[in-house]
Amino acid sequence: MAKVFIYPTNSLILYDLVERFGHEPLAMMGRVHEKITTPGIDSPPININPEDPKYGLKYAAVEVPSGVRGRLAMAGPLIEKAEAAIIVNDSAISFGCMGCARTNEMVKYMARQKDIPILELEYPNTEEEGKEFVYKIADFLKSLPGAKENNREGENE
Amino acid sequence: MPENNTDNNNHQDTITKLVVIDSDWVLPSDAAMKIYESETEVTVKETCFGLMVNGPTEAVNRAVEDVVSMDRNHIFVKQRGFPPGDERRCRAVRGGGPRPGYYFLREEVNMLPTIGKALDDYDKGVSVKETKKSKKLKTSKLKDIIESNVEE
Amino acid sequence: MSRDEDVEDKVTIALIACGPEYSGVQSEIESAVESLNAKLVYPEMDVSELDTIGRDFGLEVASADLKLLMARAKAIVEGRAKVDAVFVASCFRCAEGALVRNEVRRYIHQNTSIPVISYSFTERTTASTLLTRLEALTTVARRRHLLAREKQKGLTAGIDSGSTTTKAVVMRDNQVIGHGWVPTIKVIESAEEAYKKALDEAGVNREDIQAIGTTGYGRFLVGKKYDAQLSQEEITVNSKGAVYLANKQKGSATVIDIGGMDNKAITVEDGIPGMFSMGGVCAGASGRFLEMTAKRLGVDITELGSLAVKGIENNIEMNSYCIVFGIQSLVNSLAKGASPEDVAAAACYSVIEQIFEQQLQEVDIREPVILVGGSSLIDGIPRTLEKFLKVEVIVPPDSQYIGAVGASMLSSGYIKEE
Repeated sequence: MAKVFIYPTNSLILYDLVERFGHEPLAMMGRVHEKITTPGIDSPPININPEDPKYGLKYAAVEVPSGVRGRLAMAGPLIEKAEAAIIVNDSAISFGCMGCARTNEMVKYMARQKDIPILELEYPNTEEEGKEFVYKIADFLKSLPGAKENNREGENE
Repeated sequence: MPENNTDNNNHQDTITKLVVIDSDWVLPSDAAMKIYESETEVTVKETCFGLMVNGPTEAVNRAVEDVVSMDRNHIFVKQRGFPPGDERRCRAVRGGGPRPGYYFLREEVNMLPTIGKALDDYDKGVSVKETKKSKKLKTSKLKDIIESNVEE
Repeated sequence: MSRDEDVEDKVTIALIACGPEYSGVQSEIESAVESLNAKLVYPEMDVSELDTIGRDFGLEVASADLKLLMARAKAIVEGRAKVDAVFVASCFRCAEGALVRNEVRRYIHQNTSIPVISYSFTERTTASTLLTRLEALTTVARRRHLLAREKQKGLTAGIDSGSTTTKAVVMRDNQVIGHGWVPTIKVIESAEEAYKKALDEAGVNREDIQAIGTTGYGRFLVGKKYDAQLSQEEITVNSKGAVYLANKQKGSATVIDIGGMDNKAITVEDGIPGMFSMGGVCAGASGRFLEMTAKRLGVDITELGSLAVKGIENNIEMNSYCIVFGIQSLVNSLAKGASPEDVAAAACYSVIEQIFEQQLQEVDIREPVILVGGSSLIDGIPRTLEKFLKVEVIVPPDSQYIGAVGASMLSSGYIKEE
């Protein structure tokens, strides 16, 4: 089983596919969950407090806006843990953790800097592209150590 | 406010999973019923996309696996950061506006029929053709077009 | 805040922002708003609007949260979201955010009568920093009737407890009849001293004062001490005071207040602030810088202005706006034989240039421009400001007492009819 960083970091489709093929998705929802269940911090809505942008200095200098550093403080630890990554470009827009274009550029850069297997592709527009999209992701995930077959195989018939 | 959460929600071992159902024959209510039959430790909330399942990690994973098995390639799952109805994300409490993530989720949900069909084909070993994206027109070609139109 | 605060409805402030949750300042904004008996709301819009908002609004940007910000502004302007005030905010140092923030602020101001402020935050922004700005926003939304007052009546007093100086006035029947101006040392003691001076000059007993208004940093403390009818932040009070003293109560105006520690720039319509910025930009852009320059030149602060108008700022090389390094440049110039006049002119230029670059961009300049605050008395300051803005700058009489006059005038609205 490999830890697979996904981008967009909140994607349902990528999260599902990674888990479906037997790996552990590294996604923003997990980070949000960690943040909001951290005891002792009361900084709603997502318990990011001024310490997080300071922690973000690990990834970007102080002249980088606080919102970028705060978001990087969320995404950075995921990338650090990643053993593989799937990056889908051109996705529909998304707010919040994915709402800042500068952060998103940096997050992708940080993932690409790592010496790990990375699959990069575009979001599909047509059925044919969708099929190719799923096949590429499935093949990539199956090439990673500890992969499972799509364990949903055959049960519908 | 966090103190309004139940003990369950305050625990790292408690998770929430969002189950999106895009099946021809499984309805969210069927899926919810299936969970209620087997898992007593989890709570289930029906949403416009499917279900939110909240509870201890292992029980949630078991429940979700049960639901997915009802139509494997057409039921999709992701984790959700907040438990259902958490006041920190509740629109009613926080003064309205779209919830972050909703817009993108809606976009992805529209794509699920395509993804599901592709998974079916993948399982059956149907081959895939490499699709070609249209490229930008070459300037020489554009020049030809302009000239052929101007000549008239 | 006035005494009848708790019986009033909550003011709804639309927060249209990019980044506060991720900068860790969302809860600071919330707590500032809560303390003002106001409520944050997030305008509803159809998410499909986001597909085309770049074209619809006209500004195409990459960040989704900024698209959301524009779509929410549009919902407010089109009346789909009903709010009393708007707070537009984005991260400090974000170019994309600053472009959107300023255009959205202008768009709301031009198309509605809803008061709006914009602010760029860092992770260090606290509720107390935001409080004065948000208080002004809620005051404009909540008390237009109070701000509609154009004349002072009866016998009232106003105390402006500022960071550097404390000012007091006594007014009777629309005339200022007593003044007091002392450096702020201890808030209460300095207020008492200034108030006593004003009472003595006016020749009235404090028992006869019918209403008191307080403003400035120490407004709550001083207000409590004198059981004031009105304790109000300086943005609404000063803009009211400025248009009153300049006799420009009707129509548009811009009020620029250069204080001892921070500056305000306020676009005013019929005496009511519509758009404003309040900068604790840097001490180098404040009256304090001028004070230090005067000290270095060995002149009284009151003489700095007359020196400055005789000098040429270009003769001095200033490498920094900073209060430390800027003063160092001035001292070096003196050592090289520069004239005190040129140094005084360069100091005024440095302060105004910084205010112009960093603060006046946050509001729309509308004539007449009224300059108030202690620094307005330094002749070089209004003259330099005129050079930058290319318009006439009015310094009304008693301009250094602006807050005290505004507070005294507004408090007369609380005099009970006999």
